[in-house]
Amino acid sequence: MPQLNPAPWFYILIFSWLVFILIIPHKVVAHTYPNPPTSKTTESPKTESWSWPW
Amino acid sequence: MMVNSFSQFESPVFLTIPLILLALILPWAFYPSRLHDDSSNRTLTLQNWFIGRFAKQLLASSTPKVHLWATLLVSLMLYIISLNLLGMLPYTFTPTTQLSMNMGLAVPLWLATVLVGFRNQPTLSLAHLLPEGTPTLLVPLLIIIETISLLIRPFALGVRLTANLTAGHLLIQLIATASLAFMWIMPAIATLTSILLLLLTLLEIAVAMIQAYVFVLLLSLYLQENS
Repeated sequence: MPQLNPAPWFYILIFSWLVFILIIPHKVVAHTYPNPPTSKTTESPKTESWSWPW
Repeated sequence: MMVNSFSQFESPVFLTIPLILLALILPWAFYPSRLHDDSSNRTLTLQNWFIGRFAKQLLASSTPKVHLWATLLVSLMLYIISLNLLGMLPYTFTPTTQLSMNMGLAVPLWLATVLVGFRNQPTLSLAHLLPEGTPTLLVPLLIIIETISLLIRPFALGVRLTANLTAGHLLIQLIATASLAFMWIMPAIATLTSILLLLLTLLEIAVAMIQAYVFVLLLSLYLQENS
């Protein structure tokens, strides 16, 4: 199986990590979002009873 | 030099330039980090949705300490899913079929989760090696089993991804060759084989996405377990 040939292992390792560290996080972090992430609060919202007669 | 079905997985070298460099660098042209002005288009919006929703889904059920890993995990997901899906195009080279690359990703990241656990809460990390409520007689045996299962995780992570993609590409090549070979002799069989090839290709597209997700999910689980 050619994947088990150890000759190209080192440079494949180095190049894949270089791409993973240098190129991709810059592109991921460039996507911004308008609201900060919030966790759910434990209070449930107060709702009034529906007063419209159907 | 023997040419066999596995020849498609040899890391290609052309005029002493390893072409895996191209396979690793060119996919990121599909992900512009910004346009020439600050407007947006459909592609960028879709990527924005994908990244945001994936990050939320992955990290919703974990502590804020785990959220520090968000950039890394989302980058990893984008990396693997892009390489897998682009590899589904005919005659492209899929770097994630290379065991070297997958082990190179799996071993350091798994080791990072283990070391983070052992540095911050060593007792709790060691306690994971013994499930609660085991009978006293079984304790030594179970600790050995759990240690082995811990140590085998990086190999499982790397080999799972490699094997799934390699097997898929190999099947596609074999069935396509069979379909071509049957075309002049038994066209009806060739048609059936081509339908099988179509279904298999759809399966492989799904597998490409699922395997990327599984890799990142398992890493995030190992991280949550250890922090």
